[in-house]
Amino acid sequence: MKTFLFLSIAVLAQAVGNTCLSKGMKTIAASTQAVEALSLGLLVEAMGTPLIWVGILCLVVFFGCFAALLSWADLSFVLPASSFGYILNVAFASHFLGEPVSSTRWAGTLLIVLGVILVSRSAAGRHGNSDETEGIADATDS
Amino acid sequence: MSLTVLMVLVIVVTNAAGDICITRGMKRVGEIDGFRPGQLLKIVKRVLTCGDFLLGILFLAMSFFSFLAILSWADMSFVVPATSLVYVVALIGARFLLKERVDGLRWAGTIIVCVGVALICLP
Repeated sequence: MKTFLFLSIAVLAQAVGNTCLSKGMKTIAASTQAVEALSLGLLVEAMGTPLIWVGILCLVVFFGCFAALLSWADLSFVLPASSFGYILNVAFASHFLGEPVSSTRWAGTLLIVLGVILVSRSAAGRHGNSDETEGIADATDS
Repeated sequence: MSLTVLMVLVIVVTNAAGDICITRGMKRVGEIDGFRPGQLLKIVKRVLTCGDFLLGILFLAMSFFSFLAILSWADMSFVVPATSLVYVVALIGARFLLKERVDGLRWAGTIIVCVGVALICLP
């Protein structure tokens, strides 16, 4: 239950955080007179924008939940589980930021989630079976 | 090469470089197997004086600020999935720089991630 709770908060916080950052940065870019695509001034202004700090705070919450999850759950579980966040990110971009998301982009996102799951499955095979080593330790304990 | 593509590469490479440096640094610090305050304080001190770790943090900071910058003009529904390439770059770095063993399934997964990213790049 707490796993599901922390996962939900983590994934939600990450999507909300990225949405806030995206909205904040777009607003700054729109209101800046001389729109230089890449300037230090852009980042300095970002640091003075409340929405950016809300976004950063959300990402901190995401990272905190992620780290907390790893204290009891396998990375090989947490990583694919949190990759569903990619889907939420794209959904938020479409719904809250009004970005046009083609079906190709959705297909690509789903493939990425699949790829992450596969990568994590192989990790499960590599580091799994702590029960085996525990058994051996018990056997040699005198 | 457009600025957008360049920025995505910067975000991905610096993020992966940061992950690799931090992995190397934390392996040098050693496995954290106790959480008593005294132990934790020692570990924190070792971590904060570890060059690899600090370099890793620097790389991650560069990645984050590049991420902020690109969000000022590019779609989030493009940027966030595109940054999943960090899995691929980190894997290659882990194999050749950290000498970790990477099996076929993991390579297959990363290739699928690449295909997915290629799709989200299409208009």
